[in-house]
Amino acid sequence: MEPSLASYLALSGILFTIGAVGVIFKRNAIGMFMCIELMLNAVNLTFVAFSRYYADVTGQLFVFMVMSVAAAEAAVGLGIIISFFRNRVSVDVDDASILKN
Amino acid sequence: MNTILLQNLVNPNVNLPIVLPEMIVALTGVIVMLYDSFVPRQRSVTGAISLIGLAISAFFLVSMWNDAPQTGWNGMIASDGLRLSFTIVFLLVSAVTILISSVWADNEDVPIGEYHALLLFATFGMMFMASGNDLVIIFLGLETLSIATYVMAGLRRGDLKSNESAMKYFILGSFASAFLLYGMALIYGATGSTNITEIALKVANPNFPALLLVGGAMMIVGFGFKVATVPFHVWTPDVYEGAPTPVTAFMAVGSKSAAFASFLRVFVLGFPLIAGVQASEFLHESWVTALSVMAILTMTVGNIAAILQDNVKRMLAYSSIAHAGYAMVGFIGAGMAKNMQQRDAAIAAVAFYMLTYAVTNLGAFAIVTLLGQKNDRRTAFEDYNGIGFRAPALAFTLSLFMLSLLGLPLTAGFMGKVMVFRPALEANNLLLTVMVIAAAVNTAISAYYYLRLIVVMFFRERTTDWLAPRIPTALTAALLITVLGVLYFGIFSDGVIEKFSKSSVGTVFKAGTRP
Repeated sequence: MEPSLASYLALSGILFTIGAVGVIFKRNAIGMFMCIELMLNAVNLTFVAFSRYYADVTGQLFVFMVMSVAAAEAAVGLGIIISFFRNRVSVDVDDASILKN
Repeated sequence: MNTILLQNLVNPNVNLPIVLPEMIVALTGVIVMLYDSFVPRQRSVTGAISLIGLAISAFFLVSMWNDAPQTGWNGMIASDGLRLSFTIVFLLVSAVTILISSVWADNEDVPIGEYHALLLFATFGMMFMASGNDLVIIFLGLETLSIATYVMAGLRRGDLKSNESAMKYFILGSFASAFLLYGMALIYGATGSTNITEIALKVANPNFPALLLVGGAMMIVGFGFKVATVPFHVWTPDVYEGAPTPVTAFMAVGSKSAAFASFLRVFVLGFPLIAGVQASEFLHESWVTALSVMAILTMTVGNIAAILQDNVKRMLAYSSIAHAGYAMVGFIGAGMAKNMQQRDAAIAAVAFYMLTYAVTNLGAFAIVTLLGQKNDRRTAFEDYNGIGFRAPALAFTLSLFMLSLLGLPLTAGFMGKVMVFRPALEANNLLLTVMVIAAAVNTAISAYYYLRLIVVMFFRERTTDWLAPRIPTALTAALLITVLGVLYFGIFSDGVIEKFSKSSVGTVFKAGTRP
């Protein structure tokens, strides 16, 4: 039996929640970034599921765009994290604490 | 299958030249990047190239001004009042930012060519956020803007504050993008389309009404982050303080107005009120109520937190949060408009508000950049003690900008506020009236910290030696543009508003009052 649309949506909802909770509770910048990637992939799953449900190609096209954006974001994000690491020798976001009230 | 494909291809709505202004900006960005890689030691050539590119783009944009609202690229791009008026604001912001940043680039060893290229790519993204009539284009525009600004925030590689600012902006920004994207996916799921015109037709009869609501809520989270509204504002002060001041100016004005452009397009044009249809009425009422509460909170929290700041950049960051709240008043007024004319006038009011905020805030940040010296060391309130009569030109212009931010009559800020509050009052709705009263009270509160800076400059004694900095030519130009803008938009605003009030592409509008 083929899984229904609802099961795909439920899975993507669960993955998205895991990612969001991870971003909030993780303290390691790389870990947080991986959680964000997980959220984006959860969204991709939603798009593909709906694309198949409607037999419409727009959703799949959107997924390609999301993937390329995620790749660009990874390049820039890891660069930023590396430059932070060079100055602080840490990727812990709790060390990012100069700018506070 | 073949016949379907052929049918779609018979008469596609291509309209290629509609994206000409965007293409010119992108092309200029590529030229700047190439020039910089072959002639790396230049300081100002890429700035000049960028300014020329922006001017050409503005020329083509203005030449499209009198065309009727149109779409192109198979409905993915819309050229209407919203696009034209916001895009001209973006081009102005970008040009003034280049002028301001020449000061900072001269004092510090930053990769100036890369900076100009990034700035142009960010502008390109902003322009697509205003012209995108499809969720795909809006998402791509937003990401192009965001990724370029993440890098610009961290441009001072050796500076801990800049690093920290970039990292916070990157993590929270992409977190918000993920929410926005999930919202887009759910809207696509609920309506079966990513085109905003088609979504507007479909909200009356969505396939999954619940997903439409959840998707709308997710998009409010995503856009709320980008325009810095409470409760999604926590990143703003830290990121704005740590980033180099010209970049802060660009983020505070450019990113915010770009996010407002797509926010308006998606919510006002994409989720309209269709009288008599329950699904659409419920969706419309939900987002209007949610945004009204957010607007009141945004103004209040922004202004009260701004009072407590000791750093001018942080104060301006909180002030930008408060101003996002004021702009949202006009936004909600557009959402509650009773006919197309009112709606387009309200959209024009928000664009005009962003224009007035742009000239005022860019001017203020220009002076903060100059007084901040290398690495923005001097940005505390005490660094402004007693400079009033030692650098009268700078102090008086900064006072003018503060008065305009406050919204004193005869300045641009006043006209902007009047324009955005009017549509909300015209809606004759209790919540919206409460919101306008809250905005008026908040304007009074904000007097405290704007006037405080003026008092500090003119009536405090300075204990240490201080020499007035020489004002470089590029900064003089930036200040001239902004001062003239503040006065011109404050006194002769009618012409500009009339130019901005063009109709928008959204066709779905059935007049009707809420029961």
